[in-house]
Order: sequence, then structure tokens, then C-alpha cells
Amino acid sequence: MKKRFEIFRYNPETDKKPYFKSYEVEVYEGMTLLDALNYIRWEIDGTLTYRRSCRSAICGSCAMKINGRTYLACKTQVIKDIKSDHIKVEPLPGYEIIKDLVVDMDNFFDKLKRTKPYHITHKAPPEKERLQSPEDFKFINEAADCILCGACVSACPSSWAGKDYLGPAALLKAYKFCADTRDEGADERLAIVNDKNGVWRCHYTANCMDACPKDIKITDYIARLRNMLVQNKL
Amino acid sequence: MRKTFGTSGNTGAMGWFFHRLTSIYLAVVLLIHFAVMHFIGDGTITYAKIADRLASPGWKVLDILFLYTGLYHGLYGLWNLLEDYIHNSFWRAFIYFLIAFGGFALVILGTITIVNFKKIGG
Repeated sequence: MKKRFEIFRYNPETDKKPYFKSYEVEVYEGMTLLDALNYIRWEIDGTLTYRRSCRSAICGSCAMKINGRTYLACKTQVIKDIKSDHIKVEPLPGYEIIKDLVVDMDNFFDKLKRTKPYHITHKAPPEKERLQSPEDFKFINEAADCILCGACVSACPSSWAGKDYLGPAALLKAYKFCADTRDEGADERLAIVNDKNGVWRCHYTANCMDACPKDIKITDYIARLRNMLVQNKL
Repeated sequence: MRKTFGTSGNTGAMGWFFHRLTSIYLAVVLLIHFAVMHFIGDGTITYAKIADRLASPGWKVLDILFLYTGLYHGLYGLWNLLEDYIHNSFWRAFIYFLIAFGGFALVILGTITIVNFKKIGG
């Protein structure tokens, strides 16, 4: 069985504007879109550029737009998950394009760093490790699943409109650390997200939840961050 | 470097808080409005019925609060959407003051109308 892959191509050094190039690939049961891209790169056109690493939906490198929706290429099977014989592959929207399917994630990671995505502790460490009960872990279990693929930010209209908006991924990470019982830096982090371009910029469009390949309810966690701020007297 | 209009100063927390607070009032009053207008009695809307309501002090207070909360809620929401897409400082300021002035004018006009309303023809 053959499927046609229409892939976004753009090399800023040689192309005046982006275009789509078509490739026909023999597909098989269990083949992922990443397998198909690898086949195209290795067997048909070595100039096709895309990011990939773990092949297990853990590293977040291969998020891209597939037939209009955001998926991880390594988690999407070309027969089971995509019924159409025509598969359109584009880079994540909302980012600068470096080449073909590779987008510039610098701004994404800069915003993430602004929310201090690491444990802040003031007390001396215990003899072995900082323990957490299973009950307390439940608060951060889902938020900790984020693989930083950037799909949520690419789906968020507030992020498209405001380049300074922290965006759903950074806010989710801020929630994860603020809600972690082992962390003592919630006040510092809440002061950072309590900003026009922070938690208050979200309009609850909930596109981020729709785009998240890990099905994290990101908008709910942004609401919880707001709740924390309200509890701390706005 | 000059700051873009409306991007510094308050965090937006209080604006959001009042937006939520007014929504509670609006939801309750809208339910009362629909019940009174369409479901209580025979459902017909006549000048006499509305004039009776508007002439009573209780309804005047309810309607004035309805006017203020509705205007705040709607115009705050409008500005919130627009400010995502307007990045030029002059146009931001222009549209912000247009919304604020328009809202203020409607507050004055609406208040005068509601407070002074008297039923014509007994």
C-alpha cells in the first residue's frame, strides 16, 4: 500500500519562499510517520531536514503538524492513526523556521528558564533524599509528564499574538514546581507568572490541551496557578 | 526605550478578578431577565409591563448594576482580545481610550435614562 507525503520544504539560504514537495512511500502496518520521514531522507531525498531523537514519545523533538493537527511523528502510525492516503506534513506553526520541519525553539526555552524550572530549597538536605508521599505526588503527576515538545505553544493564539507571553509550557512547568511539596520556591515563581504576559494573558482557548501529545490538561493547571495567586492575595 | 502602551503597570489580576465577579452577577440577572420577560405571566411584552418595572426603585437598582457590570464585562473582554493583536503603541492608546470613553458615555447615558424614567400615560 502506498501513501503520498506532501512535505513542507524551505531552506532560507536558497529558497525565496516555502513550497511543498511530494513523496510516495510504500507503507506497512505499524510504520510511524517518523519511519516514513526516515525512509524519505535515507532512500529518496537526503536534503529533507527534521528533528528526531528517542523514537519513544519521550524527548519531544519530533512534534509537527500532520494533516492540520499537531502530533509527535514517532507516536503517529501512518495507517492506524491517519486514514487519508494523502499526508501533509508541516513544521509547528508559530515558530521561526530554521529549515524544512525544524523550527527555532530558543524563545520557547528562554521563557521556560524565566519560570525557574528547577527545585528551589532553603532547608538543609536530609540524609538520604527529599521524600514525597504518593498523595502529594498526585498534584504534579500529570503536569510532570510534559516532554517540552512545544506543541501547546504552537497551538496557542495568545502566544502567536504576543511574543512576550510566557505561554502554556512555561506556565505548566511553573505550576509543576509550585505544587511540588519538596519545593520551597513557589513565592519566587508566582511573582514571575503574576504578570500581564504571564498567567493573566491566557484566554482559556484551551487549544494547548487539544494539541498536547501527552493529553495534559494544561489550561486547568494555568487556572490552578491563578488560584494559587488568588489564595496569596492577587 | 519607550514602553508600549498598556504593557507595564498592573499585572491584570484585578481586571480578571472583576471580570469573573461581574460574570456571576450577569448570569443571575440574565436568568431573572429571561424568566420575567418570557416565562412569567402570559409571555407578551408590552410598554405598560416594562414601564411598570422600570419605574420601580428595586428594578432601577438592579438595572443600573446590570448596565455597569455588563459594560465592564463586555468592554474588558473586548480590550483583552484586541490588545493581543494591536502592537503599535499609538493605536493601543487610541483604541483603549475609545473603549474607555465609549463605556463612560454609555454609563452616564444609561444612568440618566434609568434614574429619570417615568411611565407615560399612567
